[in-house]
Amino acid sequence: MKNINVRESIAAYSFLSPALILLGLFLLLPVLMAIYYAFTDYYLLTPDNRQFVGLENFIAIIKDPIFLQSLKNVALFVVCVIPVQIGSALGLALLINKQRRGNLFFKVAFFAPVVLSLVVISVLWLYLLNPSEGLINVILERVGINPQPFLTSPDQAIYTIVFVSAWQGAGYQMLIFLAGLQNIPSSVYEASKMDGANKWQNFIHITLPLLKPTSILIMITTLIAAFKLIIQPMVMTQGGPMNSTMTPVYYIYQTGFSDRLIGYASAMTVVFGILIGIVTFIQSKVSREDDS
Amino acid sequence: MSRKFKKVVEYTFLILLACIFIFPLIWMVASSMKPEANIPVDMGSIQSLLPSIVPSEWFQTYQELFSRFDVFQYIFNSVTYAIVVTLGSIVVNAMAGYAFSKFDFIGKKVLFGLLIALLIVPAETLIITQFTVAHDLGILNTRLAVILPMIANMFFIYLFRNFFKAIPDEIIESVKLDGANYWTIFWKIILPMSKPAIATVGTLSFILSWNDYLWPLMVLTDSEKFPLQVAITNINTTPPVYTNQVMAILTISTIPLIIVYIVAQKYLLQGLGGSGTGIK
Repeated sequence: MKNINVRESIAAYSFLSPALILLGLFLLLPVLMAIYYAFTDYYLLTPDNRQFVGLENFIAIIKDPIFLQSLKNVALFVVCVIPVQIGSALGLALLINKQRRGNLFFKVAFFAPVVLSLVVISVLWLYLLNPSEGLINVILERVGINPQPFLTSPDQAIYTIVFVSAWQGAGYQMLIFLAGLQNIPSSVYEASKMDGANKWQNFIHITLPLLKPTSILIMITTLIAAFKLIIQPMVMTQGGPMNSTMTPVYYIYQTGFSDRLIGYASAMTVVFGILIGIVTFIQSKVSREDDS
Repeated sequence: MSRKFKKVVEYTFLILLACIFIFPLIWMVASSMKPEANIPVDMGSIQSLLPSIVPSEWFQTYQELFSRFDVFQYIFNSVTYAIVVTLGSIVVNAMAGYAFSKFDFIGKKVLFGLLIALLIVPAETLIITQFTVAHDLGILNTRLAVILPMIANMFFIYLFRNFFKAIPDEIIESVKLDGANYWTIFWKIILPMSKPAIATVGTLSFILSWNDYLWPLMVLTDSEKFPLQVAITNINTTPPVYTNQVMAILTISTIPLIIVYIVAQKYLLQGLGGSGTGIK
């Protein structure tokens, strides 16, 4: 009996080995190395001089104004993009969840930006939002609004990135909401109609509660993704102006990759990784408690 | 009458909304199909959303772009990376999913728990030590470095495992009695019965690989190995920068994705949570 188990185990591990080796090399090992390097002054160009420096990196991080600024920026981004993107997605799904001529066209139109990669949307909007020759300011001027600086203003840049990100992502989440809406049996609405409920009451008391599992799932995935913001600022603003769009992952990239300060970047990875972990944990706890 | 009015308002609103979502794409394609000098001239008029009025100028930008940059090479690179990652991802993750769904082995629970824990590790924050691993392995500036980290994916393993669990053990037992080994069962029984799961993982892997930007940018230094996404920012920063040529490379890099989304649309929603939020 035990013999069979051992044979089965060998077979199982041979099936697992390619995935385990790759995940070990490119996920588990980097986690362990980040924790280890965080306590060293590893500079990629002089690997032999690597020394253990204790908590020095961590002390420097909490005093690093750019890192603190990047945390503030990404928090602002998360707080704005979640309601804007998820709200738009839900609104679009409700608009489309109806029999009408030409509905497929609208659905495809709302979904279209999802097909573009983050690099493509970033470059495209960089041109559209150009303060002097971009199409957006030309249109704004037509309707009597002064041209805006958008990405070139420290006050507007992060909100502009919020808009561009939500513009791209809303269509995908609209489809998920739509699937959730179509799972609600029409008999539920008919019953409440008999009870004399109006459309608004239906929405608050039936649609929203039944969409809750879908919403929670969307919230958690959007939240985690939003924290890792890097490509839009990297392509559109290089973190500027005045670090107003610098994000933690982008700063980690700059110090670790451009400046080759592996030790310092690793310490930021550890700190930021723990922060994301805590936020995710709280979020999933809160949404689970809401359920009961 | 008031019903009709309501309908007009509703449609006007929907059309305006649709415009917000698609006018950038139309401007992108239209600008790639006209001479550079026409772009600022057309700006703001309806002509800015239409290609040049002279049809012979429509593909001139593309010719100029292809003569300045080796776009065929970039397309070839992106296609190669995406296909290898897709096939590798299907085989490697399906094999792991098979082990977790149909085998009883020593350490199964611990290992599965560990992998689920890795699922919540924010991989993008690990770019620096992932880079040092690639550096230590001596694979920097190789195509292998672009491909390898994209293959194994815990989310896809999980997806395969759940799918395989639904395949009745009786089928597997009966073939086993006929003398088939695990490997034969995997290729001849499990995989052919799992086309929806394969299609989902394949589609998502293709899109993830096609859109991958940061990692190839970090590990590659030779421009002849660049995928399209890296080529885009390269073209956008190599003077002289022409708007119509930038829009042309954006359009080129998007066409394969449009095809994938159309062909595989029914599999995309199943991949919920794997990718695909504006902020990926």
